[in-house]
Amino acid sequence: MDVHHGYKTGGSSRSKGPEVDVHETERRKKFLQFGDPDIGRLESINALAEKYADEVIEDFYRHLMSFSETSAFFSDPQQLARVKELQKQYFLRLTKGEYDAEYAQNRLKIGQVHERIGLPVSAYLGMYNFYLRAVADRLFQHFEREPKQALDAFVSLTKLTFFDMSLAIDTYIDSREQTIRAQQAAIQDLSTPVLQLRPGILMLPVVGLIDSFRASQLTEQLLHSIRDTRSKVVVLDITGVPYVDSRVASHLVQTVEAARLMGSKVIISGVSPEIALTMVTIGVDLGQIETLGDMQSAIERAEQLSGYQVKRVSLQRRRDDVDDDEDRARRGE
Amino acid sequence: MQVPILKQEDFLIASIQGALSDAELLALRDQVVAKIRHFRARAIIIDVTVLDLLDSFAARTLRSIAQMTRLLGAQTIVVGIQPEVAMAMVQLGLRLEGASIAMDLEDGLLILRNRGMQGDVSNDGT
Repeated sequence: MDVHHGYKTGGSSRSKGPEVDVHETERRKKFLQFGDPDIGRLESINALAEKYADEVIEDFYRHLMSFSETSAFFSDPQQLARVKELQKQYFLRLTKGEYDAEYAQNRLKIGQVHERIGLPVSAYLGMYNFYLRAVADRLFQHFEREPKQALDAFVSLTKLTFFDMSLAIDTYIDSREQTIRAQQAAIQDLSTPVLQLRPGILMLPVVGLIDSFRASQLTEQLLHSIRDTRSKVVVLDITGVPYVDSRVASHLVQTVEAARLMGSKVIISGVSPEIALTMVTIGVDLGQIETLGDMQSAIERAEQLSGYQVKRVSLQRRRDDVDDDEDRARRGE
Repeated sequence: MQVPILKQEDFLIASIQGALSDAELLALRDQVVAKIRHFRARAIIIDVTVLDLLDSFAARTLRSIAQMTRLLGAQTIVVGIQPEVAMAMVQLGLRLEGASIAMDLEDGLLILRNRGMQGDVSNDGT
């Protein structure tokens, strides 16, 4: 998230989660038009909240237990009792004032706990809604003669609840973003290996999409391997590349050209009929680059260029050799 | 810094020893052409292994050396371009047209000794 919003994601450690500083807390409250009158109203109903807390919490868990998706989280009675106590604290905290950065951080932490146990967002938001309804009933009951006062207090509570909800949702989003970042890093780590096929021949199988970053990484790796192994021929296999557009093609051309400047020839293999069609259609000019349909042809061509001659020895003949060896061994030669 | 140009049989070897200024590059060009004429050499190998930078002026100069030597009936082989240099050159679109390219001095000599067999591998980018 943008740093100027004062909202920072937890960095590298996964458990840390998002953080909300003083500035960000104030910005969010301002956006919800949550001000001093609201704080006053919320504090004024604290006594009422204390009075009905246990009742509301009981209703609340009865509601949760009636749905399979939420009841699954409270199979252990001991755990249920503990969670109820925490829930009560959470509920009472709503009317205790001091809605500062520390409050926000605490709300984030609670959100994280729910995210970690895998509570769906829909259930989480449903719980907020249940709270609002439970409180509304009791508020209007209590202030039967002064509906205006009840409404004001309720609106203030709504603001605060939305403030809490936005934080809770942030923890969910942050967690997903961390997962995405971790996966992206993992994909990058799966970078393309440069393999030595024979002395003087390198093999570079490319799997997946080629973007600018990956292309330069791949080129750099290839060029260093060329220098280290003094390989004069490279087979760059693009069988695993899902599609080739003009940008991918220009990356490939650059890689081949850079290798040429180092005195090495790149043969591109794995050009499928679809890729060939695309390249012809979009008018990619592969110029002097030698391309071949399949890897086998490319390897054969690379061997030919490097002066290798692969000869197949017939299997029958090899078996004879083995027999001869065994005979000789038996005779103690 | 003067670039030593050694005569070896019927070809020449210019081994660049360090970064060259523009003026030194031009001097190299004139010197190479003069020596090729003088020795009636059939090729010049220019070793750039120590260079960690080959800017557009240097690339242009190498290209004109290649074209000039060709007019004199000789071949230019540039050897020892480093990975970083190759990547930078590609990004700048510098291709060294007219010059042959080999991996290192040994590879360059090999090309000269049996041109027929190795000709396929070291293309000249045209």
